[in-house]
Amino acid sequence: MIPIESEGTSKDGTRTVYVAKENILAFMKERKDEGFDVLLMITGIDYKDHLEVVYHLLSTTNGNRLVVKTKTDEEVDSMTGLWAGANWHERETWDLVGIKFKGHPNLKRLLLAEGWVGHPLRKDYPLDKKQFVNLGEDGEDRVSFDPREGY
Amino acid sequence: MEDKLIEVNFGPQHPSTHGVLRIKVRLDGEYIVDAYPVIGYLHRNAEKLAEMGYYPKAMIYVDRLDYVASLNGELGYVLSAEKLMDIQVPERAQWIRMMLVELNRVASHLIWFGTHGLDMGMLTPFFYCFRERERILRIFDEVTGSRLLYNYFAIGGVYSDVTPKAIEMIREFTGNFVTKLEEIEGIFKKNYIYVKRTTGVGKLSLEDALSYGVTGPMLRASGKSWDLRKNQPYLFYKDINFDVPTRPEGDVYARFLVRLEEMKQSIKIVEQILTKLPEGDFYNKKYAKPMLIRLKANGESYVPTESPKGEFGIYLVGDGSTMPYRFRIRSPSFANLSATPVMLKGYKIADLTATVSSMDPVFGEVDR
Repeated sequence: MIPIESEGTSKDGTRTVYVAKENILAFMKERKDEGFDVLLMITGIDYKDHLEVVYHLLSTTNGNRLVVKTKTDEEVDSMTGLWAGANWHERETWDLVGIKFKGHPNLKRLLLAEGWVGHPLRKDYPLDKKQFVNLGEDGEDRVSFDPREGY
Repeated sequence: MEDKLIEVNFGPQHPSTHGVLRIKVRLDGEYIVDAYPVIGYLHRNAEKLAEMGYYPKAMIYVDRLDYVASLNGELGYVLSAEKLMDIQVPERAQWIRMMLVELNRVASHLIWFGTHGLDMGMLTPFFYCFRERERILRIFDEVTGSRLLYNYFAIGGVYSDVTPKAIEMIREFTGNFVTKLEEIEGIFKKNYIYVKRTTGVGKLSLEDALSYGVTGPMLRASGKSWDLRKNQPYLFYKDINFDVPTRPEGDVYARFLVRLEEMKQSIKIVEQILTKLPEGDFYNKKYAKPMLIRLKANGESYVPTESPKGEFGIYLVGDGSTMPYRFRIRSPSFANLSATPVMLKGYKIADLTATVSSMDPVFGEVDR
């Protein structure tokens, strides 16, 4: 049994547990063997002094739900080995919140163009700086702060 | 062998991508070896926009996620927000929500039917489906005042009551819709070419479906009887009789059959709601419109709902202020679409449009 740091209940009545960053992969493997067969989503939250990763799990055999949270500073283990669906969710979290996932096969930006500066869902993201995207000759996106070089 | 592979770029400006999906496909002759979907062409960062405004303001962004089933999105948001703020909703409002959401599900599936027909080379079902959908939109126009993006559900109830005229329109619609649907059904089922092109194509095993987090009609077409309205009922779904259609095959034709049966079940649900619709308030008087912007919340909540595409919900984190601290959208199309490579591998390039359209992706929801 992997130890949990603390636990509580969210407003909708789902059990919520905090797990140390070092144990997260082993803890999730245990949960998967326990019957949590669907990873619904991965959320990254920027709490200014630290980052948090939230996993929503669902078991379709008995309908149980579980929320797993871990505090991190930029990097956390990837869940792609356990649930294939984690791939896109982790890429999105890297893209928008800027959390790296160790062991991810292809950690590229998903929604924004490769080369985008900053992570929009961070609380200190500068909203007034516009970035312009253009498709390069090689089929990859180019990002620039100059409006003449993109749309 | 490696040098014989051809890379083909499908989309983002292709009519059968249902929006702006781009897939990089690697081909060995006519067979797909590898597929790499590229998304993000419709990205607006609705999560950030919602975090920048008051709680009720987020509704307009939720509307624009799955724009063919706006009310289903709104439902996911209001349920989550009401749980977060401990707001009670009058019974009549909840029954109204259920009724409109089911009608919206039919409208969404009708769009899918029409466009799926177009993708498979049939023009007729498109007109039939849009003719029927138009009747639903007229009902929505009467009830909510808009035809596509409603902003009708409010935290604490709905914005206006359902008029007797609207009830009459809904009765008329449910009265003859199923016979009209059977006309459309025949165009697909009796078409030898359609059945041949979809049977055994784009298979998704149950194991893969669960691993990728696929939900909704796609999961049910892969053999799992999982419907949140039945398994984890919200609103008053536990008081209503309906079946959950399931198919074991997991191919495009199975998804077609599941969605077809779901529309009939939705009509059955609406008919039952019409007989049970209670009298009373349609919103919580404590939360009249001007009060809404002062709503504050602490803690977090996530209420899952069954949207036409699968499990939709919004994970809200409040920090005690009038704006959500984190507004995370769980969109079913996003998870469903991430399983594209498994469904395409090993099939012919001609099956690609059938498979992609069978997923019913809506890009407002995928790219957010």
